[in-house]
Amino acid sequence: MSSPVKSALRFVAIGVLLYAALYAGAEWLLYRTGDTNPFYKIATTPERRFDWVILGASHAMPFDFANFNAIMERETGLRILDLATPGNGVLYNRFVLERFLEDHRTANVLYVVDSFAFRSRAWNEDRFADAKLLRRTPLDPSVARRLLAYSVREGVSPLAALDYLSGFSKINNRERFQRDVWEGEAQFERAYRPSASAVKNRIAYLYPDGAADEATFARYLTMFADFVAYTQGRGLRLVVIKTPVPAAYRALLPGEDAFDRIVSSLLRERGVAYLDFSALPYEPRLFFDTDHLNRAGLTDFFTQQLKPILTRHEPGSANKP
Amino acid sequence: MLFTSFSFLTLLPLALLLHALLPVRVRWAWLLLASYGFYAASAPLNAFWLGVVTLLVYACGWGLGRAQRPVARVALLMLGLVAVLGLLTAFKFYDFAAGELERLVAVWLGTAPALPRLGLRNPVGLSFYAFSAASYLLDVYAGRLPAERHAGQLALYVAFFPKILAGPIERATTFLPQLRTGLRVEPERLVAGLQLIGWGLFKKVVIADNLAPLVDRPFAIAAYASPLELVLAVYFFAFQIYCDFSGYTDIAIGVARLFGIDLMENFRRPYLARSTAEFWGQRWHISLAHWFRDYLYFPLGGSRAGRLRQYANIMAVFTVSGLWHAGLGYGVGWTFLVWGALNGLYNWAGLATRPLWHALGGHLPRIASSPVWAVLRVLLTFHAVLLAWVFFRATSIGQAVLILRRIAGALGQLPALALRYPYSGEQALAVGLIAVLLALEVLDERRPLRERLAAAPVYWRWTAYYGVLAALLILGRWQAREFIYMQF
Repeated sequence: MSSPVKSALRFVAIGVLLYAALYAGAEWLLYRTGDTNPFYKIATTPERRFDWVILGASHAMPFDFANFNAIMERETGLRILDLATPGNGVLYNRFVLERFLEDHRTANVLYVVDSFAFRSRAWNEDRFADAKLLRRTPLDPSVARRLLAYSVREGVSPLAALDYLSGFSKINNRERFQRDVWEGEAQFERAYRPSASAVKNRIAYLYPDGAADEATFARYLTMFADFVAYTQGRGLRLVVIKTPVPAAYRALLPGEDAFDRIVSSLLRERGVAYLDFSALPYEPRLFFDTDHLNRAGLTDFFTQQLKPILTRHEPGSANKP
Repeated sequence: MLFTSFSFLTLLPLALLLHALLPVRVRWAWLLLASYGFYAASAPLNAFWLGVVTLLVYACGWGLGRAQRPVARVALLMLGLVAVLGLLTAFKFYDFAAGELERLVAVWLGTAPALPRLGLRNPVGLSFYAFSAASYLLDVYAGRLPAERHAGQLALYVAFFPKILAGPIERATTFLPQLRTGLRVEPERLVAGLQLIGWGLFKKVVIADNLAPLVDRPFAIAAYASPLELVLAVYFFAFQIYCDFSGYTDIAIGVARLFGIDLMENFRRPYLARSTAEFWGQRWHISLAHWFRDYLYFPLGGSRAGRLRQYANIMAVFTVSGLWHAGLGYGVGWTFLVWGALNGLYNWAGLATRPLWHALGGHLPRIASSPVWAVLRVLLTFHAVLLAWVFFRATSIGQAVLILRRIAGALGQLPALALRYPYSGEQALAVGLIAVLLALEVLDERRPLRERLAAAPVYWRWTAYYGVLAALLILGRWQAREFIYMQF
């Protein structure tokens, strides 16, 4: 072998070792600063069995803000794990649940549904490649394998798997020294001052394509039906809810009535409870922003609505000994 | 396709491998194919305009090569120039001019007819390849270059992918001969090319893109940002635009070198210039400066047609340069004309005070040759350029004036504000990166870093390489932020 080639190989070999060291450092930091990421929670929770797993997008996240999950557990006497992540539709939630069920058990799944997540691939396939999620997802062969499978089967970009396996987003994480918390958590105690422009901007952000085309909606509806079948196939009780939102926000959601009609029909046919609380007359002071419950709102919602749902005994749960 | 995109960085080695495997005599064809693929990847219609410009200059060049009568030659030259530069002007200014005309008529008459708009998406890189194409025609006309018979190689000159989006504005006189002598892939050239690519990426994704948000935020809320934030934004912008543009150029030159082609140097540590004439003439965007010098300033008479003409020629060059820069990153507006004129005024001032500096050098040689004096001149030049950058970056003259007025109004309080200001980690990082850049540029000015690296023991050299790669990985912003200069 010629000297330049040897030299180049040596350079690459040392580079690979240094890269591995950076990767290991990033992974170590991830465990020091992790918090919200569902895979981090799955990897670090000492429990193996739960009564409820909460899934959904950002509307489901306040259940785990500050000490609220502990309060819910104390009030109900149940073990609850919130695996919701911001902006994630049914595809990512199924991905999370599949991984969770590999080495954990739950009797029930509470799915907080949002219509926006059925309207765009931005909230489904594209979420897998989001650096903000990848940089906080611990290295786990099972996640990697599943991510590759989703690339082949579900149209997720192969770059997501490449990024995950290479650890690039973790090494390149600009917030590597900061705790992994969603910005909403810092506002959990505050009360929202209504703003028409903020609501408009929020809706525009969540529905970049408006009510989207029928094909897109049908695609994610089919995924949702598959998700329901998956949970039922695993013997889990699934409860689907919509959390309260301010009336001004709800009024602007595109195609919401049609969405409710179709989803409730789909769930009814499969014997799944669908509880829509989005129209409850919750005042803006019970939200910390345009559409997320603050502590006061969540306490009221939990006490009045959610607690009876969580504590209702249903036979045939997978968590029974 | 961006140089910093994943697709480019993965396709480049494959393109190079294929290039190396092909026989030397057909490598130009592969490069032409790759160039059109690269250029059309984001917007296929762009390739159409590129093809139109190429065909035009080939046809006009061919005609110039055969025509004997001066009238015919001038006609062919004018036809080519008007078509190529007219296309550029129409794309750049037609919609803007129509809007301004409507506004003007509305002010005069109270109502204005709605003028039709082209509404065309600007072909990215047109500002650059149109100037390359024009320089080819001018060189053929002037007899500096025979008309190119090989249409494919001329097409490659216009379209060569490393330079098409943001230069350097290469001359056919240096580019075309390289295609004939062979596009060889050699280890030394590969190393030199990779060094430049690494350094260019560092300047772009580590420095420029980390500075970008610190510039964008205060400029977006100029009326509400604190004067100190505005000051920082103006300073940061000077380094953002330098690292963004020169980073692109370094990558372009490095990539071209991998394929066996040398492109001209485009930046030479510009913020170490001791006068604005030196800044524009010898250090910043050199390929454009030379273009204007050779094809505008000299034909207008340069400095040989009397002092007044020289002043007029300088202002003409900088005004046209301002117009050329319109649309590069910050929209098309009057700010670019002001920016160009301001730089013209700086050069006037430099020219007018030149006897004074000579006299100073003659009477006080120790002061004139002292490092302190040199540093003062560098700082003065830098701040003059900095002032002009405000007009370049602002979205309107009103915004630029607002920023300058707010800074000027708080000038006395700035030192106290600077001491109390709660600097963010991002700002501290930005200052650190700029300090590293300047330190390296000062070293490079004394003795080229390339030479220093070549002379250094291998472990130092490799440490430098790994350091750059680690910075790219740890600090780089890779979220596909476009290069400022490659938006037109």
